[in-house]
Amino acid sequence: MSALWSNLATPRPRLQDGGVFVFQEDFFVIVIQCVDNRNGTLFHGRRQSRDRLLRLHILAALAGRKLWMNSYSFRQFQQDLPPGQAVCVDEDFLAKAGWGEVCFVEGLPLTPWLNRIEQLILYRWNRDYPADTVLDLRLDAISWVLKCREEFPGSSHPVITKEVYLHETL
Amino acid sequence: MKLCKKILLPVFLVCCILLSGCPDGNQPSAATLEEIPAYSGSPYVILADNEPDFSPEDMVTDSFESYSPLDLLGRCGVAVANIGVDLMPVEDRESISDVTPSGWVNREYDGQYLYNRCHLIGFQLTGENANEENLITGTRYMNVEGMLPFENLVADYVQETENHVLYRVTPIFEGSELVARGVQMEALSVEDGGEGVCFNVYVYNVQPGITIDYATGESWEEEQPPASGDSADDPGTSSEPDGNTTYILNTNSHKFHNTDCPGAANMSEKNKETYTGSRQDLIDQGYTPCGQCNP
Repeated sequence: MSALWSNLATPRPRLQDGGVFVFQEDFFVIVIQCVDNRNGTLFHGRRQSRDRLLRLHILAALAGRKLWMNSYSFRQFQQDLPPGQAVCVDEDFLAKAGWGEVCFVEGLPLTPWLNRIEQLILYRWNRDYPADTVLDLRLDAISWVLKCREEFPGSSHPVITKEVYLHETL
Repeated sequence: MKLCKKILLPVFLVCCILLSGCPDGNQPSAATLEEIPAYSGSPYVILADNEPDFSPEDMVTDSFESYSPLDLLGRCGVAVANIGVDLMPVEDRESISDVTPSGWVNREYDGQYLYNRCHLIGFQLTGENANEENLITGTRYMNVEGMLPFENLVADYVQETENHVLYRVTPIFEGSELVARGVQMEALSVEDGGEGVCFNVYVYNVQPGITIDYATGESWEEEQPPASGDSADDPGTSSEPDGNTTYILNTNSHKFHNTDCPGAANMSEKNKETYTGSRQDLIDQGYTPCGQCNP
């Protein structure tokens, strides 16, 4: 399940201006976001949905990686955290997460961080909800490549679909 | 327990509603049609900054449900409930076709009926079947595009948290018309003071392309707009001469995709099915469009 994440085991060299390869260890975070059938994320500043089995799925897939989120998201995760799981709660977590670390995002704009996001993991609720905030990335753009998709049952959602996108231009 | 609440709480609530009807009472302010903008393409509009009109005394942690008696014209009134897991259905929905809501003059357009017997409080929330005080004449569009997403939001919240959600649906009629112009939907999660669920919206009882006589329930097709030809130009869909389109179905997740969608390519063969027909038929069968290729 987390095989793709292991691709980030070591910093990748990037070609800088002037033809010099450098390691940018503060780049490349993994973003997780949940969306409905229309890529909606929030309504009236509140998450559209939640699912206990999905949270456990995410925590199990972390395999020890540090998880970043804001305090709003932390309130739904705190009761499920296994002992020893590293979690950083910060309102500015997308700016602070380090290389290869995982950011659980609920409705925050991702476009400003486009050049930091190496992987986007979408969990689709497969349901319609009202939305006034939607995912602000165009996944049909050529730079996003769907690498895998899997389905599993949630606790209140019959089928949750996980999609892993790689940001190929990074 | 649910039966007891079903008997006693409605009596209590009706008393409250009658009392609150006094001039100095604490009656919630239902939306009036004067404050509702004309339908302009979205199935709902937000009212009062999305804040429902419940009072602190309403914030109780006992489940209940209450429906207004039909008025002299046979029309439904406000339905209110405090949704908890103990109210939610544990059995499949039964037939509701014996109920004839006010203004029920159903017509078929393009092979689809215009109206649904539309639950004020959705079946998934309180498990009400053929309750005439909870069923109105509502368009397919209002039911599926307008009300269902809000019902899903509330149902999932209650199931996941086992908290309660105060929930009120008010059909809005103009004068003595038999078909509601729309419904006001209000909801507020109780135990967390609205952090989980909080909305106040008006959902339009309209069907794009159809004109409704709300006084009687009669309806007719609007003048056909000129065809845009968009779908025929879409390289991801395969259009047949008769206007049908070919999609790839996922029979497990009940999503449908354009034929060139990467999601369709990665789909397990056992869940994959090719379908040629109308998009609306697929939606009516419970399929939802893929969020990636937007078929």
